[in-house]
This record gives sequence, structure tokens and C-alpha cells, in this order.
Amino acid sequence: MDLDEDDFVFFGTPIEREEEITSRKKKAVAEASGQLRTLPVWKQEVTDEEGRRRFHGAFTGGFSAGYYNTVGSKEGWTPQKFVSSRKNRAEVKQQNILNFLDEDERADLEGQSLGTSMQFDTFGFTAAELARKQAEKEQQQRPSAIPGPVPDELVLPATESIGVKLLLKMGWRHGHSIKDSRPSSLYDARREARKAFLAFSSDDAKAQLTESESVQGNLESITEQPTNDDVQSYQSTPVYVRNPKQDLHGLGFDPYKHAPEFREKKRSRMSGKREMGSRKAYSTKDNLFGFKSGNVAPGFGIGALEEFDAEDEDVYAADFDFVDTYVQEVEEPSRLMTDSKPKLLAKETGVLPGFRVASNSDYQLERFDPPVIPKDFVPCHKFPGPLETNYRLADPPPPEVPPPEDNNLKLLIEGVATLVARCGKLYEDLSKEKNQSNPLFNFLTGGNGYDYYTRKLWEERQKRADQSKQQVDVKLSSSMRKMTAESRGKILGERPLERSIKDLSSSVASAEGIQLQFNLSDTFTEPASSSGLHEAVKPFKDDPAKQERFERFLKEKYQGGLRSTTSSGSSNMSEASRARERLDFEAAAEAIQKGQWGKESKHSSATGGMQFTSGGVEQAKVTEAEDLITKKMFPKREEYQWRPAPVLCKRFDLIDPYMGKPAPPPRMRSKIDTLIFTSDSAKETKVEETIIANRDFSMLQSDVQGISQDVAIKENEVEVEVENVERPVDLYKAIFSDDSDDEGETTSLKKVENPEKKIEAATTTLNRLIAGDFLESLGKELGLEVPPDLPQSTYMAKTPASQKEAANTNVGDSNILPVKNGPSSTVFSETLNREVPHNRKIAMEGRPEKNEVLHGKLAKSVGIYMETGSTENNLDKVDLEKRVHEDSKAKTPSSRYKNWNSNSSSEDERSRKQSRRHRHRSGDSDSDSSSDHRDRYRSRSKGRKKESSREKSGSSRRHSKHHKHRSRDSPGRSRYDSDREHREAKREKRKKRD
Amino acid sequence: MSESEVPRKEANVLKGHEGAVLAARFNSDGNYCLSCGKDRTIRLWNPHRGIHIKTYKSHAREVRDVHVTPDNSKLCSCGGDRQIFYWDVSTGRVIRKFRGHDGEVNAVKFNEYSSVVVSAGYDQSLRAWDCRSHSTEPIQIIDSFSDSVMSVCLTKSEIIGGSVDGTVRTFDIRIGREISDDLGQPVNCISMSNDGNCILASCLDSTLRLLDRTSGELLQEYKGHTCKSYKLDCCLTNTDAHVTGGSEDGFIYFWDLVDASVVSSFRAHSSVVTSVSYHPKDSCMITASVDGTIRVWKT
Repeated sequence: MDLDEDDFVFFGTPIEREEEITSRKKKAVAEASGQLRTLPVWKQEVTDEEGRRRFHGAFTGGFSAGYYNTVGSKEGWTPQKFVSSRKNRAEVKQQNILNFLDEDERADLEGQSLGTSMQFDTFGFTAAELARKQAEKEQQQRPSAIPGPVPDELVLPATESIGVKLLLKMGWRHGHSIKDSRPSSLYDARREARKAFLAFSSDDAKAQLTESESVQGNLESITEQPTNDDVQSYQSTPVYVRNPKQDLHGLGFDPYKHAPEFREKKRSRMSGKREMGSRKAYSTKDNLFGFKSGNVAPGFGIGALEEFDAEDEDVYAADFDFVDTYVQEVEEPSRLMTDSKPKLLAKETGVLPGFRVASNSDYQLERFDPPVIPKDFVPCHKFPGPLETNYRLADPPPPEVPPPEDNNLKLLIEGVATLVARCGKLYEDLSKEKNQSNPLFNFLTGGNGYDYYTRKLWEERQKRADQSKQQVDVKLSSSMRKMTAESRGKILGERPLERSIKDLSSSVASAEGIQLQFNLSDTFTEPASSSGLHEAVKPFKDDPAKQERFERFLKEKYQGGLRSTTSSGSSNMSEASRARERLDFEAAAEAIQKGQWGKESKHSSATGGMQFTSGGVEQAKVTEAEDLITKKMFPKREEYQWRPAPVLCKRFDLIDPYMGKPAPPPRMRSKIDTLIFTSDSAKETKVEETIIANRDFSMLQSDVQGISQDVAIKENEVEVEVENVERPVDLYKAIFSDDSDDEGETTSLKKVENPEKKIEAATTTLNRLIAGDFLESLGKELGLEVPPDLPQSTYMAKTPASQKEAANTNVGDSNILPVKNGPSSTVFSETLNREVPHNRKIAMEGRPEKNEVLHGKLAKSVGIYMETGSTENNLDKVDLEKRVHEDSKAKTPSSRYKNWNSNSSSEDERSRKQSRRHRHRSGDSDSDSSSDHRDRYRSRSKGRKKESSREKSGSSRRHSKHHKHRSRDSPGRSRYDSDREHREAKREKRKKRD
Repeated sequence: MSESEVPRKEANVLKGHEGAVLAARFNSDGNYCLSCGKDRTIRLWNPHRGIHIKTYKSHAREVRDVHVTPDNSKLCSCGGDRQIFYWDVSTGRVIRKFRGHDGEVNAVKFNEYSSVVVSAGYDQSLRAWDCRSHSTEPIQIIDSFSDSVMSVCLTKSEIIGGSVDGTVRTFDIRIGREISDDLGQPVNCISMSNDGNCILASCLDSTLRLLDRTSGELLQEYKGHTCKSYKLDCCLTNTDAHVTGGSEDGFIYFWDLVDASVVSSFRAHSSVVTSVSYHPKDSCMITASVDGTIRVWKT
């Protein structure tokens, strides 16, 4: 049963759902229907749905809320009665929401009313108030010539905001809320009452300290307008009140002269009042008589006019004060003043009270006509300086000329060019004149080095124009929105390529081009070897943006040096389209490499037909080429080991191929692993690179050593992998006996040398190298073909077919040799290494193949292997051509390596060096090619001792290496690289897992 | 082969799915078909009579693939909720849920004996789940893929997975070998030829590629349709004479297996044809589409 049903009379039986009625509820129902109905209101108990006595909360009524379980007070909602007598006139109460609200609710409501904070002082009141307070304070502090309240004319509000002005126009006045005016009946009544009261209270008032009040009161009653009061009572914003002298004291007379405490009181009260942001309505009655609750003067008693609240308060408190009566003294008339003469607006205009604004004044504002604009005036300022340079810049630049051989001359030319650029043509003429006879300055007049000079001059001018244009650029920002590829390139700090400048020259008229002709930092130099070719070639002429990107791509591909990170394509390209474009570029670059473009571009300049367009025929050509590549490339079959779970085999009703074999080591695989392994191919390419790069015999030899180790490691890994499969025992022995040999050497050396681990690793490497040399000679003696420099020379000339042969023979060797030779792995790898430069894949492919061999299917596997090899070769060629350009980089470490290798000093020294290198390796990103091998080698040599540790260290080392490679290699890597990488990564993963 | 042998006539339209139908599969004898879709349900139909038989609801997200055992007693399904559900067909209850994939599960298949469910997931892995034991752990995780595995096929001794990394990998359980055929294009769907010698792989470059399984050779490429962003099914007809597949423009294409010419193509659906399934014996095909319908095609 519901709570509110208790007090109602029911007709019929309420429909109740049975399951809802609990026992307690039943009881409650019984009670409610039985006794409660009979009880008087205040004895009834309120229960909730569950039949419990309702508890409203300890502080909100306990068990009985409201007035005996009803709402409201004793009066409840009953309307107030109308009682009126002659003396005590009833005020017609207009009921308002405020009448029904609690104190706190009212406070809440008032809190909702508008008020300005200091921050948003729209009406300038806060500022005014502050100023006033400040003035008051000062007033108090210093003795004033005019004692008394602050002459308010001196304290003007700081500003009159536009809001105030608008409101004033709309008829609002200061000190009034922006609400609708309330019906004034209540206040009319109050006014009447006040008048009546005045009649008998004036005597008492006079008996008070001053007479001024009564005077004032009279004054007020006289001047008061009927509508004023209620308007005033609505004042919610503090009014800025001026206090005209309204009392009848003489000028300068201070009524508080002998009672300064009153003044103080008043002042504090006033300021306190002002501080209230939204003041409660001051009823005029209160203002007049100070019958404020709690501040009632003794002897007055509680008047009938007092508000209801007053009854609770201690009216007869000891600390009464009279001050309130005076407090209002000054304030009140002023209000009256302003309100009764609203038209005067004295305070707004700052007119002193009693004065009027003159209707006509002598002063007249003199107005002058605006100056006449000459007809030829163009309202746009020209900047002669920079623009001039711009035009000059727009001229076709002189061709890039190699500097003269003579370094002095070069310097001189550069210096003069700089000076001329800075000082202008004048300087050039001057120096021409001066140095006419000087042969050194021939270049000025067209002699030796003239071309270079003109070029240099142009460059300098551009540079200068750039500087002077910094300011102009800011203005041009709007036009910069429409950025062309050239401008973007320039912003990126690229040297404008010949083509783009030529383009500009063809369309000099385009103002934007001129304005955006930026300058070029010299950070990017012309590519030494390939640039000429590539810059002449414009495969994407129709799409300058694309061409731009293409050139950037070329630059990245063939050049080292600084490059901006964002250079790979414009940012608004999608990933897919970027990749696609990249492929296009790759194909185009390839075509260029073949020299195809050299011809075609000639044709194109003549016919204008053969060009790359973003979506044209040429594009198709590229994709065709790409397709060709992919067709050659894909599908690509690789085979790996995979170990099915025994349960899986069982469920598939198959015999576990790995039955009885030891379980694979638990592999730890994290996401990081996969991430790291993706760049695995980097080191492989490195090997290739170095091989190709080094023509020097010894250099090559050393590298071969490195590779041999490399391959040996790979071999070893393969072996480890294949271990599970059956394998000829002698091969196994051969490899591992070699290991033990090495081990012996290492340990023996270890005794001699520093047992520190790094050095140990280094020495093992050294030993390996020496052993390699030894074995090489041994191989020669035995009549085995171990040509160290052959692969180099043959490679370039060889066709894939011949490579196949070579690879084939190598494979044969690799299978035979280990059996023959004791320390076979090195020789084995030695022979294998021939494959490596050709085609790294071969070496890698050797793995599955080898496994096959071990299974006894030699012929077939070789066939497969050959196929894959040949396809790979084509790809590699592409890669190789690229890598040729990285020679210089590759060389440094390898030459170091060479020195190091050919160094005949003691082993100690070598090892020391090596260890140092190892230590510095982490910081030295370029020294990797040689140290790579060593590194791997080291990991291998360790691994021989302990396989598990080998796995770990190997992999971890690789990780670090990949990081390095990645950071260096990534921008220019081709798709194929990444492909290979991919495979490598997988293989690596697999290795690790197995 | 002439065009007449290709099922072109719409025999039935199976309506009931709300939203896209992601897969439609014949059961092993071709009398029934199962479909699953974005509305998180699996539905069992009789496509020949056009009757909806049963609805299986339990998935929390879209159901991406469903497969039924050869004896029609169990279902497995997978979807966006990263779980594989193992259902009892008749009662419609979930017997087991296999959790473990770290991403959405794209495809699921039973093995020959219905003892193992192999699932292919977005988490770059193939997982094999044991239906016999009560273990909910996968009995095998194959994670040599480097991208989302889109499709899986099983033979008696092999697990074949096609992945977005462009590879089709065959895991031979019998000899413990993984054969990876890199196609260079993201592989959407793979399906076996009926003789088991070829794999048809649908690549995202709008090309179907037919691979010889033993050599890894690319036998044929089928082009003409659009397949660039959706996972679209492809399959061979029951006689292995044609290759069929859906297109993103709502068409169905039939290619000649040998010369790769488009034998027939017609608009089958108003939207992307997500799935095609060919009857194991008859010349009948069902297609499912994003438009929410499954259509049965007969000659």
C-alpha cells in the first residue's frame, strides 16, 4: 500500500498482486485499514511500502516529518488571513515563490540571480566600487579639506561599458535589477504605513542624536515619488551613488565631529553593504527607520511593520546601536535624488548637482575634410628591394658549373660573388673596372671561371633574397596555402632541381612562383655521380608534385647525407598510394638506370609523347614491368621445418614425424621478437655489399674470411636445425671435430692472453682468420679450387645460368669437402662463400636443399634450388646496382679490416684492437660490416661450447644489429629488400623456435 | 564447358539474417546449408526448399565462419568475439568454447574426423583445438604467419592457411614440414580443388590464383571481378571445371578453370557477395551477401 493512500478514502478494493504482499506489508495494511484511520493526524504513523515506520532522517524530521506528518508549518498551506485595523493596516500580500521557500532555498534561488564577478565586469560596477572603496580608505587616512563623505564626483567609475550604455538607452537606470518590476501594492501599503508612523515617531527621532534624520525623512516624504520605492526595492545591483549635499548643515559642517565613532560605524556599514554582490531588497521602511531585524533601537519595541523574521531575534540585545538610522542618512536622499530626477542623469555626465548642461556652447568641433587622393594613387605598397631580387631570381639560372680547378680562383670567385650579391651590381662594375688588368679577375669579364662566377652570383642572390624575404613570407602565408610542389620542396630546404627552375622560367608570369622562389640551403649538394643522369630525367613531368617526390626518392636512393624525415611523399597521401607510388618510382628508377630514360627523355622533349603521367599509358608500362617482376617473383615456394604437436598428429590419425625426438626447446616469443626480426636482411645485404665493393685483393680476402665465417655460422645453424633428421655421421663429425680443434686453440690462446671475454672472442676470430688463410693454402695444395678473388670477377660478368653452374658446383663441393677435410667448416664455407656474393639467397636456400640432400634426393633439390636461385638473381641485380652506390660507406670499415688483417704485429696488439673495436661498436654505426662477421663469429664460437647460450647470444646480438641497420637503411630500402627481410625474419624466427 | 552448366538460375532466396551474411556453407552432403552473419547468429537452412530450420545464437559479435562436421552432428563457428564455439547441431547448445585467439577469428574448419577444430585468426596464428578432450587450450599454435590469417583448409594430413601477408602455408603434419607459397598479394580466402591437387587463393588485387600444391607453381590467374577490401570467398565447382567467386559489386563470376576466361558473370546480389559455396555433388551454389540474403543458384 502506498504511503499517500493512507489519508484517502477508498472505494472498492484495490487490486493487489499477491506476490507483492509480504507479511509485514500485510500487517501494515491491517493497521492502516484498522486503527490508523481512526487516529488523529498527529498520532498517525507513516510507514513505507514495506510497512516500516518511515524515518525521514535524524535531522530532517526523525520519524515525523513536517508538521505532524504533514507538510509545511503549523499554518501549512492555509492562506493568510486578512486582518486590518486602522492602526495596523494589513498589507495585501502578493504571494510569491519566495514566500513558500525555506531560508536556504531562498538563498539558493538568489544564488541563481545574475551577478558579475570581477573578471567579467561588464557594467563597470566592480571597478567603480573598488575605486570608491579605495577613495574611502584614503579619505579615512588623510585629513581632507572637505571632511565628510567622499565627494563622489571625484570617484567616477572606470568605464561605462557598452552593455550599460545599451541598457540605459533602453530605459534602465543604475542600481536597478533587470527584472520586471513587481506589483507595488505591498510597498504602497508600506509607504502608507510609514507615513502614518512618521507622524508619531518624528519626535522620538529628534530625541535621538541628530535631527538630520527627521529632516531628511521629511525631505524624503516630500520629494518621494509614488513609484520610487518599489523600484528601489528591486535594486539588485549596487548603485553608484553620489552624495549631493542634502542636509541643512553648513558647508563643511561635520555632524560627527564630536562623535567620530558614529562615522566610523557608518562607514564600515556602508562598505560592508556594498560588498554584497546582490543585495537583498532594502525596503524603504528599513532604510528609514533602521528597523532592521536585530538592529532595533531600544524603546521602539517591535513594530507592526516589522517583518516576520524579526520575531525570533533578540530584539533587546545589549549591543544596540543607533547608527543605522544615520547610516542611511546620506545614502537615502541621494537615491531619491537620482530617482526623482531621472532625466537629469547627473552622475552619468559628471555634471555637478545643481548644475545643468548648457544647451548651447561656444565650443564647436572643427572638422576637416579628408585629403584628396591623387588619381594615380595605388593603395598598395610595393617593396622595391626584394621584388627586384625576385625578378632577377626568376631569370633562368645559369647552369651549374663545376668550380675551377684552381682553388684560389674558386675562393676568389665565391668571395666576389658574395660581395656582389650583397652590394649590388655597382660593386661588380667597380671591381671590373679596377681589375681590368688583373688576370685573376678575368672571370668578371667573361674569362676563365665566368660561368662559375655567374652561377655563384645567382646562388648568392638567391640566398640573400631568401633572407630579405623572411618578412614577406609572413604576408604571403595565404598564398602559401596553395603550395606547389616546388615551394614545398623549397620549404623542406631542398636545392631546386634544374628542372623545376626551368619550369619556372617558362612560366615566369606566375606571380606565385616568383614569390615562392625560395632559397636553398647548401646542405644538399648535387649528387656526384648519378645526379646528372637522374635530374635530366623527368619521368613524371606532367605531375610536378610527383616528379618532386620522385626526385627525392632518387636522392634517397642514391645518396647518403641528411634527409628530412617527412620527405617520403606528401603527408596527405594514403599509405597505400604511397606504397604504390614507391613501386612506380622503383620501376622508373630502374628504367633510368638502364639508360632507357636518357633516350626517352630526348624523345619526349622532341615529341612530348613519352612521359610518365599519373594515370596514363606510361603508368601502365610501369605496372607492367612491376607485374613482370612479381610474376617472376611469385609465387615463391619455401620450405621450413614445422613440428606438429603430438596431440595434433594423434587427432589427425597420423604418426608423429617427430616421435621420439626430444621436444623442441621452449621458445620465448614476444611481439618484440617479430618486430626486431623484420630487418634481418640488412646484414645479409651488407655482406653482399662489401663483397662487391671491395676490389682490392687483400680487402676481399679479409671479407671473404668474414663471409666464410658468416656462412659457416649459417651452415652450423642449418646443421643444428637438421640435427633431428638423419644425417651422415661423418659430416657431423667433420664439423664438430673442427669445432673441438678450434676449441683447443682457443683455450690455448686463452691461457696466453687476457681471459677477458671480449678479447677471447676476438682471438677466436683471429684464429679463425689465420686458420682460414692456412686452409686456403692447404686447399690450394690439395688442388681444390679455392679462388678467393674469383667470385668477385666472375660475378659481374656471369649470367644467371653460369651462376647456377657455379652454385651447383659449390653445392657439390660443400657436400664433399667436409668429409675430406678435417677442420672442414671453414673450407666448406669458403667454397660456399662464392655463392654468397652472387646471390645470398643461394646460401640461404642451401638450407632446405641440404636437408633434402641428407634425405638423399640430391638431384631434385638441386633443381629446385637452381630455379629459385635464378629468379633471385634478377632481383638481386636490382638491389646490387643500388648498393654499388654505397661503396664508400662500406669501404671504410672493410679497409680498416684490411689493415687490421694485414697487420703483422703481435697477436696481442691485434686482439687489443679488436676488443676495442668491439667495445666501441655500439657507438659506431658504420663499422658494422666487418664487425658483423666477427660478431656473428663470436657468437658462434661461444655457441659451440654451449648451444643454448649460442642461441641466445646470437639472437640478441642480431637484435642489436638490426636496430642499427634499420636506423640507417630504412628510407632507401626497396620493396624487394623488405620482401627478403620478411623471409629472413621468418627464417630467423623459425631457427630460433627450432 | 558451356555456360549452361553454370548455375545461373535463382532457385531460392533465404532471408532471415539481419544485416550482412558473412558466410554460407553447404554441409558435407549438400542437403543443408549454414550461414552466419553480422547479426551474431548462425542459421541452418534447407536451401533446396528454402526453409529456415534453426538459429544458433550465442556469439557476442558477428559470426565470421561456420563449419559443420561430415556427420552433421556438430558445428563450429567463430567470429569477432575471439572465440570458437563448438555446437551441438540438434540441440543448438554450445558444447565448448575455445578461447585463446588474441584477435578476431576469421575462419574455422573441422578436420576429417571432426576431432580437431582449426581456426585462423587475426592474431596471425592458426590454432588447433581439441574437441575430444575437455581441454580448452589449443593443441597447436602455428604462428609463422606475419599477418592476419584469413582462411584455412584442411586435408587428411595437412593444414593450409592463407594470410594477408601474401602466403599460403601448408603445414604437413605427416612429415613435419611447412611449405610457404608466397603470392605477393594478401590472400583473402583459399579453397581446395576437389581433387586436392590445387589451391585456389583469392588475393586482394582482384585476382584469384590457382596454385599447384605439389610444386607451388602458379597455374592460372582469374581476373575480372573486384576484390579489394572484403573477404570474399571463392571456390571451384563440383566438377572442378570452373572457378567461381563473388565480387564486391554484387556479381558472381565463373571462370573456366583452364583458360581463365570468364564463362559467366551476373548480378546476384545488390551488394558485396561475401561467400560462395558449391554443392558437393550437384550443380548448385549458394551465395551470401552483405545485403542480408542468401541465394540458391541452380542450372
